Amino acid sequence: MKQYIGEYVTPYLKKYRAMIGWTIFFGTLALLSAAMLTFTSGYLISRTSERPETILMVYVPIVAVRTFGISRSVFKYVERLLGHNAVLKMLADMRVKLYQALEPQALFIRERFKTGDLLGAVADDIEHLQDVYIRTIFPTLIGLFVFVFAAGGLATQDPLFALIMSGLMLIVAFVYPLVSLYMLKKHQTTSKRLHSQLYESFTDALFGVTDWMISGRKKTYTEQFLQEAKASDEAEKKLDYWHQSRTFQLQLITGALVIIVGCWAGLQAANGHLTPTYIAAFTLVVMPIMEALIPISHAVERVPVYEESFRRLDAVKQQTYEEFEGDVPLETIERPVISVEHVSYTYPGSERLAVDHVDLTIRPGEKIAILGRSGAGKSTLLQLILGLAKPTEGRVTIGDYESERFGTSIYDVVSVLNQKPYLFATSVANNIRLGSQEATDERIQRVVQDVQLSDYLSSLPNGLDTQMEETGQRFSGGERQRIALSRILLKDTPIVVLDEPTVGLDPATERQLLETMYDALEEKTVLHITHHLTYIEKMDRIVFMDEGRIAMIGSHEQLYATNERYRNLYELDRGL
Amino acid sequence: MDKHLLRYPGSKQTMAIVGLLTGVQAVAILFQAIFLAKAITQMFHGESLSVAIRSFAFFFIAHFVRQLMQWGKERVAYRFAQKTSERSREQLVEKLFQLGPDAVGKHGSGNLITLTLEGIPKFRKYIELFIPRFVTMAIVPLVIVLYIWTQDKLSAITLIIVLPVLIIFLILIGLVSQKKIDDQMENYRLLSRHFVDSLRGLVTLKYLGKSKSHEKAIETVSNKYRIATNRALKYAFMSSFALDFFASLSVAIVAVELGLRLINGTVTLEPALAILILAPDYFLPVRELGNDFHATVDGQDAGEEIRSILKDDTSYEMNDVAVMPFVGATSLRAQEVTVIGDEERTLLEDVSFDIRPGEKIGIVGTSGAGKSTFIRTLAGFTTVGDGTFAIGEKQLPTLANESWQRQLSYIPQHPTIFAMSVAENIRFYAPDATLDEVKEAARTVGLYELIESFPNTWDEPIGQAGRSLSGGEEQRVALARTLLQQSNVLLFDEPTAHLDIETEHDIKQIIVPLMEEKTVFFATHRLHWMKNMDRIFVIDHGRVVQEGTYEQLLHEEGPYRALVRSQQQGVIRS
Repeated sequence: MKQYIGEYVTPYLKKYRAMIGWTIFFGTLALLSAAMLTFTSGYLISRTSERPETILMVYVPIVAVRTFGISRSVFKYVERLLGHNAVLKMLADMRVKLYQALEPQALFIRERFKTGDLLGAVADDIEHLQDVYIRTIFPTLIGLFVFVFAAGGLATQDPLFALIMSGLMLIVAFVYPLVSLYMLKKHQTTSKRLHSQLYESFTDALFGVTDWMISGRKKTYTEQFLQEAKASDEAEKKLDYWHQSRTFQLQLITGALVIIVGCWAGLQAANGHLTPTYIAAFTLVVMPIMEALIPISHAVERVPVYEESFRRLDAVKQQTYEEFEGDVPLETIERPVISVEHVSYTYPGSERLAVDHVDLTIRPGEKIAILGRSGAGKSTLLQLILGLAKPTEGRVTIGDYESERFGTSIYDVVSVLNQKPYLFATSVANNIRLGSQEATDERIQRVVQDVQLSDYLSSLPNGLDTQMEETGQRFSGGERQRIALSRILLKDTPIVVLDEPTVGLDPATERQLLETMYDALEEKTVLHITHHLTYIEKMDRIVFMDEGRIAMIGSHEQLYATNERYRNLYELDRGL
Repeated sequence: MDKHLLRYPGSKQTMAIVGLLTGVQAVAILFQAIFLAKAITQMFHGESLSVAIRSFAFFFIAHFVRQLMQWGKERVAYRFAQKTSERSREQLVEKLFQLGPDAVGKHGSGNLITLTLEGIPKFRKYIELFIPRFVTMAIVPLVIVLYIWTQDKLSAITLIIVLPVLIIFLILIGLVSQKKIDDQMENYRLLSRHFVDSLRGLVTLKYLGKSKSHEKAIETVSNKYRIATNRALKYAFMSSFALDFFASLSVAIVAVELGLRLINGTVTLEPALAILILAPDYFLPVRELGNDFHATVDGQDAGEEIRSILKDDTSYEMNDVAVMPFVGATSLRAQEVTVIGDEERTLLEDVSFDIRPGEKIGIVGTSGAGKSTFIRTLAGFTTVGDGTFAIGEKQLPTLANESWQRQLSYIPQHPTIFAMSVAENIRFYAPDATLDEVKEAARTVGLYELIESFPNTWDEPIGQAGRSLSGGEEQRVALARTLLQQSNVLLFDEPTAHLDIETEHDIKQIIVPLMEEKTVFFATHRLHWMKNMDRIFVIDHGRVVQEGTYEQLLHEEGPYRALVRSQQQGVIRS
């Protein structure tokens, strides 16, 4: 936990110390106003009961009572606005920082973290971190300041008694919070673990509802799930019961403190150290002061709740991936040859050759299909060509330069259209313009025509300015790929990689999309990783990979004429 | 007040107990103030400490009772809340299984997960908070103000007037701020999504070479978001500001008023102090209700949603006619069956067939024609609007019948891999299967070597919590399940379209022998499967438009030939 605080809390506290300072200042003033309202009212009533000659004698306390009556709510309001503003500023910084950490490793995240929506979870984690400030740090600090003021104020009257009272208040401001933190840590972790287990088993149930029903085991499942849910409830119940009991205990302490202060004030007055009009003020002020201290327990015990968010953020940031901008003179690359020369690759920590002595030369403008089972080495070959991995043996060059020398500039030479290109929650035009910020409206119109979307888009009321909606649900799979393709056409790189862009589309849509793609990409070198043989006849060469090696290579005519396995697969695909 | 809250079993008793405790508490609050005022007054008048201590002791007893009642109220409400939410969860989960996969799809599985796992706790919190808060609100201020009335009418009047003014103000502020917040909701939503959107689209940005420059956009949008949020918060915090403002201002007014009348001698110190102590307690219930407002609204919404799902009556009746095993001399007949989907859309229309055990039926058609609906109707998962079924002699209104469903295997495009060990996944349909039987099934589907290579071999966790499998491997697990299940009828819904052609070829070698001796329904647009079928139904717009054997359809000009043609373009005619 400590290292997380050093990483995610302290730097921001430092950077925004002025804003946080003001937040704490106003927060403290708000609570002190509440205390002072009670204090001055108590004084006012005691003083007036002595029936002073004229109202002017109590003019000051009257004004004070009214002022504190108003100022408490005003200060509170200001504190909340300032605090949220400061926290939102921090979150903005954290987002940028997280993005900086994620950006270089973007292409490897899915491999490193198997979880489905890690990125969504991390984005949520950042949002949750505002609670660290709003619900823990601010109330704790404000409570402690009130404590200091209370103790200090009392010390001006009676230092020794102030010391005793400080000790008693510390029970509420320190001992209870720390004991809560210590005691509840285990329960909180258990409760959280049980809850995430529930998620897992319930997700399984809903996605597998058909299986549970057909298997006739739904009763087994419901019973088990409800059992698990009960266990999770029990864990939560322990936490909630503790909260209720703690409030009860702290309230009793408050009652005791009222009596102690009351008796002290009475004694002081009897001894002549205190004007009797202050007895009520001192006695009554105990309650609002304690109201400021009691929430500290609740604020501090939340600390373990944040830990998981911290841990996930940290796991993402831990891995650093050195990025290299590339030193290839891109202007010399016009129609490059891709040359894979005797290349092998082994993943770190593995002994298996993911790519095993592959030789392949791809001429400019050539259309190559790459097929293979999952794990055959297609993706690894692609990574080697993109320079994301350095061959353990042999070399990969693009236009005479080793591919890893391109660094991040590789994407000025190679465009990739993957299975699920992301379409951002903005307009269609903005999504397309991502391909090239400088593109004129005419060019955008042209690429939209090239991907044969112009009729459809102009039939929409907002045309190109149509919003993509939530992750693009307005558009079908085929249309989404067309939008993504137009982005790539706008980018206009000499090489285009199509990484299974048609998975999940029905045969008619698949065929139409491929036709559009190859019409639009006629000039380019195309590497098409594919799982079906649709459109395969139009490819210059077909490469089948198996266990890292090239198992078959040739044009459709060649393979169909000479290779029985290919013939079988082709006929299977065509439904013959 | 939420009427529904009174309808849950035990809610009236809970209210009554909480009411009783609150009554005692209200009296304790009065005594607490009276004795504290007394103690202070005694000391103020210079009486000896021992006299004051006695008043303090009574104060403490009253304070103790007050807090004890508070604790008791919370406990009682918590128990009731827990019982009620537990029962709601039970009903909800049972309802979901009763509704089946179609309804799960309709309500959205993500939505249902959130409702069950987040909504139920919110609902519980709502009951737990609302009952004591509401009862307190109804009793405590009344008791306090009545007491103050007996002591000092003017103070009581001040307090009585402020409360409705405060409530009217809250409503006004609520209306205005809600409008202000709604006005910028759309903009706000886009901004708040931007970061998640950026992270999810990071790979795409990278491929476009835009990921570095996007950093700037994140900063800019984050700041815009902050400004928009601040603007919204200014209004959102207004209502708690008003609460605080009125509550503390009226305490101040009461104090000053009392002070003025103390000078005139119309009131005395002791009751004045008691009133001063009681004034904040008068406002406390409103303030608490206000502070928990959001939790209350969230929980109420969750309760509403749960009730609406429980009321969903689209669930088809499971019929419990005992159906004989689908083997030997029996048949499955459908008579003019029509299936209705959401918004009264017709998914299948006038479908009739007569199928003998062991027949293999291929179902083809363009996407959206109704292939999946056909398969799901056979499994009894759709709402049948019209028509009847018969299995052997038994007439059935629908196939939602347990003794029929138990004879089925259902293999969809993406079979569910449960968060269990690989062995448990394979024996999902046959939990009593021995490990040897599991191994045998795995060997048949070609998973044996792979599983043996796992670090924990057969105990290796897969699915959400463990190792992820490739599409081909998932399909093999599903087939191994089917093997152990020994069902009579196999339902395939596009099991291979997403696989690469070689894996598809491999899987086909496993499926073909598996289909022997079984009744098979096979929906797909991969036409190569049709050669293995006895009969083919071509579906278009929910109707069976052509029916016949593979040979017949191939030689007959019609929809099947059109489908084949559309997929065979470019075939080399040698």
